[in-house]
Amino acid sequence: MFTLGVDIGSTTSKAVILKDGQEILATSLIKAGTGTDGPGRAIEAVLAEGNLRPEEIASVYATGYGRKLLKNADGEMSELSCHARGVHHLLPEVRTIIDIGGQDAKVLSLGTDGRMTEFLMNDKCAAGTGRFLDVMAGILQLRIEDLEKQAALSKQIVKISSTCTVFAESEVISQLANGVEIPDLVAGICQSVASRVAALAKRVGVKETVCMSGGVAKNGGVRKAMEQELGLNITYSPMAQLMGALGAALYAYDKS
Amino acid sequence: MATLNELLENFHDIACSPKKQLNAYLEQGKKVVACVPVYTPEELIHSMGLVPMGAWGADIELKESKRYFPAFICSIMQSILELGIRGEYKGISAIVIPSLCDSLKCLGQNWKYAVKDIPFIPMTYPQNRKPESGKEFTKASYERVIRDLEAATGEKFSEASLAKSNEIYNEHNAAMRKLAEVLEQHPSITAVQRRDIFKSAHFMRKEEHTALVSQLIEALSQVEEKESKIKVITTGILADSDGLLKIFDEHGLQIAADDVAHESRQYRTDVNLELESLEGLADKFSRMDHCSVLYDPEKKRAGYIVDLAKKYKAKGVVVLLTKFCDPEEFDYVMVKKACAEAGIPIIQIEVDRQMVNYEQAGTMMEAFIDML
Repeated sequence: MFTLGVDIGSTTSKAVILKDGQEILATSLIKAGTGTDGPGRAIEAVLAEGNLRPEEIASVYATGYGRKLLKNADGEMSELSCHARGVHHLLPEVRTIIDIGGQDAKVLSLGTDGRMTEFLMNDKCAAGTGRFLDVMAGILQLRIEDLEKQAALSKQIVKISSTCTVFAESEVISQLANGVEIPDLVAGICQSVASRVAALAKRVGVKETVCMSGGVAKNGGVRKAMEQELGLNITYSPMAQLMGALGAALYAYDKS
Repeated sequence: MATLNELLENFHDIACSPKKQLNAYLEQGKKVVACVPVYTPEELIHSMGLVPMGAWGADIELKESKRYFPAFICSIMQSILELGIRGEYKGISAIVIPSLCDSLKCLGQNWKYAVKDIPFIPMTYPQNRKPESGKEFTKASYERVIRDLEAATGEKFSEASLAKSNEIYNEHNAAMRKLAEVLEQHPSITAVQRRDIFKSAHFMRKEEHTALVSQLIEALSQVEEKESKIKVITTGILADSDGLLKIFDEHGLQIAADDVAHESRQYRTDVNLELESLEGLADKFSRMDHCSVLYDPEKKRAGYIVDLAKKYKAKGVVVLLTKFCDPEEFDYVMVKKACAEAGIPIIQIEVDRQMVNYEQAGTMMEAFIDML
């Protein structure tokens, strides 16, 4: 039996097809989120990769910001529950999930059975989210995927002290005007995101093993900065950005 | 006898139309005095033949008030000033602003400059309200409010009238406590309807509200309840927004009981009618408890919320934290710890008077329900 999980985020759409609630058969990721054709394209892509027709999918669950908009879904679950479920499926030893998405950050605490016991979300603020990195990459005329490489070249981190993304933008421009090295600035930007989300994690209570999920987890610069902030190793899966969709596919399997 | 639906519609109309209520009282030749959160000696105002009306702000865009306040301050208070500047309180004889938190003190000071046509009457409470000296301080502050009310309205105070008003307020308190118990037995009453009933109390003379609430309790006794929902306790300063409360209704949550300042916190403590009336009112304040703005070195509120959840077999506690409310933020740590020790799931949702999008609050609530 095949089940499909679709995670419609603020900036990307992700889909995972699961076989018999265990095996990940296919995945897709489209850089277009809620309110775009991204979800439809993600579903088309994942079906093509899995070589399946829509009628072969037993159940579809939606998650993410756009979850209520997915037509023909059999159900929907919050992205918090789906991330917890997806991470527990692949990394059962994880007790703390730090999920940084396009427009928010969440920290989830899991019990030994994988159930979410507590969570916190930042909201109403772009600082400490993927959006912050997007804005900063834009100012530095870098591609978002180049931030990690640039951060690795840093010799002396330039700290970004402003809490607010808008003020941080001015701060970065000022630093550029002062002639600081771009890698040092990028490392400071990664550290800025990590320190804000680490504070959120500490409020929940950090229990090892800690993993990062969401799109920002792909950025090794932020992962490294997060390890420094928390003083522990961060577990990372290449499936980090697909954990929500995986969780949704697991919920779809439960209900089918 | 009105039907249940008629009564609920009536409560809704009153709760959503404070301006209409104000104008109706003014047309009747009554003088109205605005009462700012969290606790104002309404009994005093009522006893002088004036109509006390709650002024808890509104969900509006803040523009003019920003001239007087920084951005990071309680939006309930900012919206009260905004409404005052916009002239929404036109016709009101005075506004009583208590000193129960630092932000309220700022509101009082700003009011004097921003809304010159409505006199500001400060109500200064003591931090240590329980000792005799604290009660004397409260009583002296009440006497100052009486003098200011007399000056602003021309009405006169008498101990005998206050004794009568104290009785009326005690009766209303009892009706509201009974109502809360009855509503717990009726999950079909939505969170929005529950809000309407409690909110309307702030815009009516209490004897009128008691009569309406009594009718509602009677009408509810005729209802055979079939619905079943997940019971939760709400706690915070305010649970007013439709957008927020609809999340409860959409996700099958019932507010089994509340520790909300705008709601049940108002009705927990009665005046001891054995005492001289003004002394009795000061004594009442000394006995009020379990509230973030009432100084309590033992912070018994945390245990109170746990007991409330246990009493009503609530599955969880929803903390509706008013953004930038320091007293509530300080208490949250203790409430969270007490709930964790009692094994009661707790969620904090930050709310303010300017929220228009409740998408994230909805997501958090969904995740919370998954946890329950």
